[in-house]
Amino acid sequence: MKKLGKIYILIIMLFLYLPIFTLMVLSFNEAKSMAVFTRFSFKWYAELFQSRLMMGAIVNTFSIAILAALIATIVGTMAVLGMDAMKPRTENVLLAANNIPMLNADIVTGIALMLFFLMLNIPRGYCTILFSHATFCIPYVILSVRPRLNKNTDRLFEAALDLGASEKYAFRKIVLPELWPGISSGFLLSFTMSVDDFIITYFTRGAGINTISTLIYSEVKIGIRPSLFALSTIIFVVALVVLLIVNARQAKADAAA
Amino acid sequence: MNELIRLENITKSFGDNVVLNGIELTVGENEFVTLLGPSGCGKTTTLRIIGGFEQPDSGVVYFDGKDITGLPANQRNINTVFQNYALFPHMNVGENIAFGLRVSGKSDAYIKDKIKYALKLVNLKGFENRNIDQLSGGQQQRIAMARAIVNEPKVLLLDEPLGALDLKLRQEMQYELVRLKKELGITFIYVTHDQEEALTMSDKVVVMNEGYIQQEGTPEEIYDEPINAFVADFIGDSNIISGKMVDEKVVEINGIKFPCIDGTEQGFPPKRRVDVVIRPEDIEIRPYGKGLFNGTIISKLFIGVHYEMLVQSEDGKIEWLLQNYDQHDVGAKIGMYVRPENIQIMRKPKSEAESAIELDI
Amino acid sequence: MIRKKTFATPFIIWIIAGTLIPLLSIAYYGFTNREGGFTFANIAAMFEHDHLQALGLSLLLALISTVICLLLAFPMAMILKDSKYGKQGFMIFVFILPMWMNFLLRTMAWQVLLERQGVINTLITAVGLPRQELMNTPGAIVLGMVYDFLPFMILPIYNTVSKIDNHLIEAAYDLGASKRKVYTSVIIPLTVPGIVSGITMVFIPALTTFVISNMLGGGKINLIGNIIEQEFTINSNWYLGSGLSLVMMIFIIVSMVLLQKFDKTGGESLI
Repeated sequence: MKKLGKIYILIIMLFLYLPIFTLMVLSFNEAKSMAVFTRFSFKWYAELFQSRLMMGAIVNTFSIAILAALIATIVGTMAVLGMDAMKPRTENVLLAANNIPMLNADIVTGIALMLFFLMLNIPRGYCTILFSHATFCIPYVILSVRPRLNKNTDRLFEAALDLGASEKYAFRKIVLPELWPGISSGFLLSFTMSVDDFIITYFTRGAGINTISTLIYSEVKIGIRPSLFALSTIIFVVALVVLLIVNARQAKADAAA
Repeated sequence: MNELIRLENITKSFGDNVVLNGIELTVGENEFVTLLGPSGCGKTTTLRIIGGFEQPDSGVVYFDGKDITGLPANQRNINTVFQNYALFPHMNVGENIAFGLRVSGKSDAYIKDKIKYALKLVNLKGFENRNIDQLSGGQQQRIAMARAIVNEPKVLLLDEPLGALDLKLRQEMQYELVRLKKELGITFIYVTHDQEEALTMSDKVVVMNEGYIQQEGTPEEIYDEPINAFVADFIGDSNIISGKMVDEKVVEINGIKFPCIDGTEQGFPPKRRVDVVIRPEDIEIRPYGKGLFNGTIISKLFIGVHYEMLVQSEDGKIEWLLQNYDQHDVGAKIGMYVRPENIQIMRKPKSEAESAIELDI
Repeated sequence: MIRKKTFATPFIIWIIAGTLIPLLSIAYYGFTNREGGFTFANIAAMFEHDHLQALGLSLLLALISTVICLLLAFPMAMILKDSKYGKQGFMIFVFILPMWMNFLLRTMAWQVLLERQGVINTLITAVGLPRQELMNTPGAIVLGMVYDFLPFMILPIYNTVSKIDNHLIEAAYDLGASKRKVYTSVIIPLTVPGIVSGITMVFIPALTTFVISNMLGGGKINLIGNIIEQEFTINSNWYLGSGLSLVMMIFIIVSMVLLQKFDKTGGESLI
């Protein structure tokens, strides 16, 4: 049984990783072929980095992701604090509305926003993408911050008041640090959702603007170039490193606790 | 004793739920007062109103003669040891204790001295740099005490501070709390549902139920002379039986006449229906037929120091709870005797509503 | 607590502007013709042969992909629960990592493998077998869906499975249950919330995708997502596109309502 399990894990892992590794190998292939490896070369990496289109898309992707995550974090965290003051019924209505973008299909969210911009004659571009990304990020911030604001936070807040702190001071010194893990994970979740998004960006972008995802899509439609393999390799390595760091820090935190 | 805190006709409801029904309470300087009652009796709400965390719907809170009803918690010279302690998890022990002192702008040197002093007081010398999650429950409880008392409050409020500790630690901490109170010389208002805690530590016990104060008095008064069935039942084990005054200072229970010490003077004239409380340790075992009444032992438990026995009356109508150092076998027929001073006569609830209040435990 | 309802104002405005009005505008366009009059034609258009076929194929492929993902993911989650790697997070890490890769690139990888001149065909011809037409088939699309969405099935199921108290399983054995009985009466019922969110996270994107079918179907196989996308981007017929989206949303809502019936926790394991 144990052995069978290991074999099963291995098969699934091969299924998940073999395609990615194929791309990585081919990214170092001098020939454009998708099948035959001729000579080791960095030329597709050079092409990738010389592409002004790609560099622009990278800048767009990350600036939108940071700004959208920032906006979503602020709006979402404030919303959690605001909703805490409301009647449970009002709060539940808002939370239900909050769930819509999360549960809805991306294509519906995308075309809904597109129609909204068209109706109001808002020219589609950087700002419409940013607005749309913040829209689908806010629910994630709310879902990760809200559980941190509970009876326990109330008690700590009261304890601070009991010790003479003003409400503002108690909020800054006690409540905010308590919410912080939720806020930061909400921010990170938003950031990765934004970087990863294709469908909503596709419908809400204007003609002249690209993110990494939309650029990949338009390039794949024209014909796959190995510079995309180079991009895959870079993204994979970056994701690997980031996740390893996060994991190591997590393990360290767990060990300390 | 000077009066320090006075609650005047405090009422409080949450929605339709009436939690406090005209609470009147006076707490003297340097007194150890315990609010005792089952959960939902309003004891914690009373404490939170004194602490400034809840506003009463009506009534006035006086502190040192001044009306502080509307004063926010952070401006009251009162500190609280919270249930589950509410220690700030992202601060270490020292920072937790220093919190109140920092807020009031004390100097670093003063704060450092105070932390040292407080940690010594609660027997946790050298714990300044520990993290909260490294502390045991008992240690957290002491730090919560330390954090409150460094601010030199006139009153310390304690909301079930020992509730989360195991039995042995709880008993140790009871002594500790009494010692601390003596050393500090301040007023303690203590909330608990544990009657043993209330009886061992307090100068005054206030028994509450359903938002009413049922009885207040010294632990001895509360134990020996419970005012009604609720108090009798809540404080320690007891036999609570209905009876009828048949003569001056004679009560009849289940057809048997018991001489007692309450009569018309105490409000129990002949023919009045009453409730009678007899503590299980006050029923003395005599040879069969040599006591006031007889019965058969139907169960027996050894519970440490003594035996606990259930004795069925001969007509089978009543089961008496007895505690005795001597054991008697199940099935044995015995006689029983109760001294007149150990028979506590209580008035019967007048109405169903009142009986609900008293007996809903 | 700092109780100020006004803090939620930006959020409420955002919900109205970013979610509610846009959704209402789909409804508005869906029931409107080009002249601005009210019509059911955009809804009824779903019954046209091409549209009906696309919807049917979408439902079928999404269903097949979801079932395959579930069949692959459940044993995986069970193995992870028992293995010591699962607890250290290493195996979880292995399943999260591909999710961080842009899914267009992941789909492209299969294009590279499956193409006529691609890796698999090169291997096949190298051993002397005839070239296979792997791309542009429904099979390729299902493969792409399973590949892209499998981690979204494994993680929620693993999350619920790993929280099952082992004492419950021991108690079931102690009470004489067979291994099969333990699975059917204890483990699977307790895993339902995870399975439900896994199905939601696979079925809905699979049902509505236009990217995977475009990349691995070579534009020859149309799913409902492709039809809607084309109405918006190529034909610029937002009215028809909105109408078809409304019908598609009905399928999404129905499938979610059905799924929620099984999940009494209200989808808490989604995150």
